[in-house]
Amino acid sequence: MTVVEFSLAGLVAVLCGLDRMALCQFMISRPVVAAPLAGLVLGEPMLGLTIGALVELLWLGRLPVGATIPPDDTQIAVGGTCLAIHIAASGSYSEPVSLALALMIAMPLAKSGQLFDHMARRANDNLGRRVERFLHAGEFVAVERGHLLGLVHFAVAAFFTFAVVTGLGSLISMAMVPLVAAYLEPAGYWLLIVFPLTGAAMILRSIRINHSITLFSASFASALLMLWLL
Amino acid sequence: MRLPGHILLRSLCRSFLLQASWNFERMQNLGVLYAMGPALRFLYSGAQLKAAYQRHLSYFNTHPFMSAPVLGATLAQEERKAGGQEVSFSVEEFKGMIMAPYAAIGDALFWGGVRPLAACTALFFAVKGSLLAPLVFLALFNLPHMMMRLWGFFRGYARGVSVVEVIQRRRLPDVAIRFKEGTIVLLGGLSAYLTFSICGRQGVEPGWGLLALPATYSLIWLSRKGLSTLFLVIAGLGLVVTFFQVVS
Repeated sequence: MTVVEFSLAGLVAVLCGLDRMALCQFMISRPVVAAPLAGLVLGEPMLGLTIGALVELLWLGRLPVGATIPPDDTQIAVGGTCLAIHIAASGSYSEPVSLALALMIAMPLAKSGQLFDHMARRANDNLGRRVERFLHAGEFVAVERGHLLGLVHFAVAAFFTFAVVTGLGSLISMAMVPLVAAYLEPAGYWLLIVFPLTGAAMILRSIRINHSITLFSASFASALLMLWLL
Repeated sequence: MRLPGHILLRSLCRSFLLQASWNFERMQNLGVLYAMGPALRFLYSGAQLKAAYQRHLSYFNTHPFMSAPVLGATLAQEERKAGGQEVSFSVEEFKGMIMAPYAAIGDALFWGGVRPLAACTALFFAVKGSLLAPLVFLALFNLPHMMMRLWGFFRGYARGVSVVEVIQRRRLPDVAIRFKEGTIVLLGGLSAYLTFSICGRQGVEPGWGLLALPATYSLIWLSRKGLSTLFLVIAGLGLVVTFFQVVS
């Protein structure tokens, strides 16, 4: 990955990272948007779209309620897209193997995102105390500007997460992929079924409506059988 | 003294940055102050302005989209207060009473209802390889999102504290349940389509795809036992790889 590509993907990571919490929340931070966007700037939008589709369901049921910090699926999507492109370019691996390996590396590394996010929110605690001092001094404009500094904290947190996932992930993939790819090849596209099924299970666990599993099973079975018959 | 349109518009635009300095101590307090700032500076001056800023530095946390009616109604409250009119609740009391119920409604409706439904719909486009998927998701999600932001803010400002009754009449928790039911049906169809297409690619009879159902039940059971998504994905991949190593 060149410096220009890293910078472009980093820009997408920061923009989408800010959308997660601090800025507008138009949901460009969702994997189904963030990953194709990262893929687009790196010249592989379809690969990004596939990564986004695989990651989207996994934490969709997790609600960002109160002080909880959900796993950073935005940086998994952006970083995973960068890693998938890197892995696909580094050898003649099949598409499902490149995708599965990229996500296997990106997902644990993105746990760092929760730590960086926590640090950004702690830094904002200090911001609150600073703003109170401005208010006592009657500096009203400084009070309002102080609030905007929080954006910098969240942007730095998003960039650091992206740097860990992509930077450290590239190093890990260089060492790990040649060793394990051959073991994954026989499974082919079956590797990819793990992601939507786990995502569906997590949503069914967290969604609070009556008979959700019955509804899901009926929908699944009827759709599969209809597709088979047609 | 009525707030002019451009001040209201500034407050509305600033409300999109409500969570820019979200913090553990007082959560969205600085965001509320930032959004209200232009209106407070128009309504008050000197010691009264300082007191008004201080009022809004207290703890505040609600759903970011549902903050629109709260901010609109709070602006109306401040306007009445600055004009010397009597208000039924103090600004602090009103915000304190309303933030938690609105947070619950917003979480269930937008995070639990609209977002999964929009995502599941968009994923059908994604699995068919259409780059329209992100646009479909953004359009489906942001239509109700922007409606709540705009309608909520101006309705809140026009109705003041009685915006609570207006929101109550919309029966938003019931709407959230309908969205969730729709999500489950789409999720079932989506999972079936993915299973069917992978069976096709691997040359397996699609009827075997029904085995995905017990696999999903097992994953639900394991997640209820406290296993994380990350662990389940890694373990699932490990199982698939091991199975095909043994078979081949």
